[in-house]
Amino acid sequence: MPVRQLPEQVVNRIAAGEVVERPASVVKELVENAIDAGASRIDVFTDGGGRRRIGITDDGSGMTHADLSLAVDRHATSKLDDEDLLRIKTLGFRGEALPSIGAVAKLGITTRHAGEPHAWSLSVEGGEKSEVMPAALGQGTRVEVNDLFYATPARLKFLKTDRTEAEAIREVVRRLAMARPDVAFTLAGEERAPVTWAAALPGAAGRLTRLGDILGADFRASAIEVRAEREGVTVEGFAAAPSLTRANALGQYLFVNGRPVRDKLILGAVRAAYSDYLPRDRHPVVALFVSCPPQEVDANVHPAKTEVRFRNAGLVRALIVHALKEGLAREGKRTAANTADGAALSAFRPAFTPSPRPGNWGWRSSPTYPVNPMRGFEGAAATAFAEPGQAAFDVGTPTADVRFEAAPAPDLLDRPLGAARTQIHETYIVAQTRDGLIVVDQHAAHERIVYEKLKASLAKNGVQRQILLIPEIVELDEATVEKLLDRSMELASFGLAIDSFGPGAVAVRETPSLLGKANSAGLLRDLAEHMAEWDEALPLERRLMHVAATMACHGSVRAGRRLKPEEMNALLREMEDTPNSGQCNHGRPTYVELKLSDIEKLFGRR
Amino acid sequence: MKVTVERAQLLKSLGHVHRVVERRNTIPILGNVLIRAEGSQLSLKATDLDLEVTETLAAETGTAGSTTVPAHMFYDIVRKLPDGSQIVLEADGDRSVLAVKAGRSRFTLQTLPESDFPDLAAGDMTHSFSLPASDIKRLIDRTQFAISTEETRYYLNGIYLHSAGTAKAATLRGVATDGHRLAQIDLTLPKGATGMPGVIVPRKTVGEVQRLIEDGEAEISIELSQGKIRFSLGNVVLTSKLIDGTFPDYGRVIPQNNDKELVVDKKDFEAAVDRVSTISSERGRAVKLALSAGKLVLSVTNPDSGSATEEIEVEYASDALDIGFNSRYLLDIAAQIEGEVAVLKLADPGSPTLVQDKDNKGALYVLMPMRV
Ligand SMILES: Nc1ncnc2c1ncn2[C@@H]1O[C@H](COP(=O)(O)OP(=O)(O)OP(=O)(O)O)[C@@H](O)[C@H]1O
Ligand SMILES: [Mg+2]
Repeated sequence: MPVRQLPEQVVNRIAAGEVVERPASVVKELVENAIDAGASRIDVFTDGGGRRRIGITDDGSGMTHADLSLAVDRHATSKLDDEDLLRIKTLGFRGEALPSIGAVAKLGITTRHAGEPHAWSLSVEGGEKSEVMPAALGQGTRVEVNDLFYATPARLKFLKTDRTEAEAIREVVRRLAMARPDVAFTLAGEERAPVTWAAALPGAAGRLTRLGDILGADFRASAIEVRAEREGVTVEGFAAAPSLTRANALGQYLFVNGRPVRDKLILGAVRAAYSDYLPRDRHPVVALFVSCPPQEVDANVHPAKTEVRFRNAGLVRALIVHALKEGLAREGKRTAANTADGAALSAFRPAFTPSPRPGNWGWRSSPTYPVNPMRGFEGAAATAFAEPGQAAFDVGTPTADVRFEAAPAPDLLDRPLGAARTQIHETYIVAQTRDGLIVVDQHAAHERIVYEKLKASLAKNGVQRQILLIPEIVELDEATVEKLLDRSMELASFGLAIDSFGPGAVAVRETPSLLGKANSAGLLRDLAEHMAEWDEALPLERRLMHVAATMACHGSVRAGRRLKPEEMNALLREMEDTPNSGQCNHGRPTYVELKLSDIEKLFGRR
Repeated sequence: MKVTVERAQLLKSLGHVHRVVERRNTIPILGNVLIRAEGSQLSLKATDLDLEVTETLAAETGTAGSTTVPAHMFYDIVRKLPDGSQIVLEADGDRSVLAVKAGRSRFTLQTLPESDFPDLAAGDMTHSFSLPASDIKRLIDRTQFAISTEETRYYLNGIYLHSAGTAKAATLRGVATDGHRLAQIDLTLPKGATGMPGVIVPRKTVGEVQRLIEDGEAEISIELSQGKIRFSLGNVVLTSKLIDGTFPDYGRVIPQNNDKELVVDKKDFEAAVDRVSTISSERGRAVKLALSAGKLVLSVTNPDSGSATEEIEVEYASDALDIGFNSRYLLDIAAQIEGEVAVLKLADPGSPTLVQDKDNKGALYVLMPMRV
């Protein structure tokens, strides 16, 4: 076959394969266009998983007659000056979304520009553009896409069930809505109950409102505001307290200059920042917004525009880690996660309805009364019984617990964790604050305190190293060796001294003594892998911290130890002064707080 | 501060006081022992806020002064120093460390200021009396086993010490109960104890006093008030808070009219209970006592492992009776019987049983049966 130029229709269909992968991609492109057009309200409507129908209405700038007819042509865009690929400020810039959609579906656009006397409409079917016709529309643009992929049945076959496609659409809209709290969104259609996200105020408060709408009230309640900035790059957003976790990393959202992106960068950085707080298999929920000058980031990695490349990825990563760590440390002591949320509160509610008791219920006539009732006071002893089989004297009723501290000192009541009133089950300290009560798990809390002290002393005094009598030679592939040697200074700061030993091996000369008889080969391999993936020497630090955590566990007061009032108060005060004392080093909360208002809610007084 | 002491003496005294110190503490100074050098004496003091032990020993004081050091570590150091050595304790000017020197060994220990060391402020003691150490020891030994460990009835977590008896034969009485069994012992009321308030001495204090007595003292003087008690044994002074609670009216549970009397040889009985209970499970430790004229049959049936019976000759002349007890409790009580013969007074299988020495030694025990 001779070489020939492909007809435009075919070219568009090929391009469509990349841009329009599934109904959710259509929704994404159209909502992005609406955002680019400066819309303050965007309504999304889909039927049949978006296959049958997608309708997007916005109140943005609209298009003129001339623009409209050009818009559906290939590589026609209003968003890029000739040389401008380095400074992209809009979500779209390739000028291929509309023609691609037009190539594989029945596309209809109705739009009204302020400079036009009325609205215009245009349709594209099978890549064939219709005439531009006068139409009626108040302001903005309405785009309708019907029978998606009718022209490419092969693609149709690859679609999942309508439900799955509808779910993907919802996820796309959620992400865009998180990116733009200032825009109101509605999402409707036969496959869902309509949802509306009202436009939120500008600034962090509005952003949190929108995130709460989308990620749930739990997230909003425990969200910690985070922020870091350097060299013109800003990372800001919200991170959930470590007590709100997921089993996968899907709750981690990254936005770059208002564009939702998926990036491994965030996964590694988030993991590093939370490493002190979470077990390995739990993942936190975060929404982070990176803003930087457009020339610092390249969004043109893939036609779908969901990946970006940073000119300085290391900086962005460091900023993310820093912002999260700083936020977690700041809020560690008093995260909202420790206050009872709705779910926890409802767990307090009694699950039974008290049954009306027939009058005159009496202990002595109850079935649990001993079969052989004791003779009266003068005769044998008065008795009751405590456990099956074994009878017991009547020496007073066991109390739920015990001695309460007399009226707490007013200055203690004003402290964040309040004044200790009693200890229950020899494990939990109950403290009173001005506006609520606090329950502290004494072992978890003390463990955190001891751990933080150990960590601080590690940081201050350095890690002690064991010099090896015979250096251990570990064989690794060349690239790994190089990577490890590049970081040998950093490793040395954790007590691991390595030297080069020919092209495919390193010599381990010193190991951190905390690790005892470390398996150097395993450790190095682990390190190398981790550095390849996340670019940091985390496993070593983590191993050391794990040892510290074990030591902390052994050095802390246990559950079951009776604490005196002074000891309880001392623990509370120490918690107030210890960073991250809201969680133990396994990520479990060390205390919970019940506000008076929560308690009142429990009893239906509010 | 600079002071020289003999290692053996310091070790013995530290051995007494360091026991009070909890190994894990939320308040750092509670992990320390207070050292004070004055005149020709060195005094050591440790506390857990409820209990405070002070011991003085002879020393050569160069410079008087005081400081606090980690108790367990200090004890371990002294323990490991060679026997017969002279130990020099020296705190420098700003007193943030204490130097411990003996022979060629040198230690410095981080100190905490003695001004932070809690004082159990004993206040005024209203009553004081003294007793032979052997009496106190007996009072503790005979009742300690019955002290409850259950925190939900904290007022049972000690020995109830009070005056009882009649005006003519007034006694100092110790009572302990855990709700299943009760132990009561009477001593002649010493001078000075008349009109004393009833006090509940906590379990830990009781244990410490017992250990100190085992180290052999002749006479113990006791001072007490509503809230505190102090035992002085030679150069050791132990001051303790009392349990702030009301001891139940235990008199009600001591049976007065149990008419079925069982007289057993203590050793035979103890051994028989011990043998048959081998078969019992962790959960159900019941031993059944089947009584008939002149005969006691002990039996245990454990559905998981089998059964055991043993017959012993006893003095018993009342109607036949089957009654069950926890074997552990029976053994505990049998161990308290000082003479050769024990007397059990029973009523019926659901009522408390009274146990005493044949020649009443001022002690009595009450035991609740099990339903078998
Ligand atoms: N909702 C809308 N409101 C106003 N103008 C629109 C709207 N949708 C599209 N346009 C115009 O049509 C042009 C083409 O849109 P299209 O989505 O095909 O390309 P693009 O957004 O420029 O780039 P990309 O292919 O990266 O999305 C846009 O540049 C814009 O001028
Ligand atoms: Mg576009």
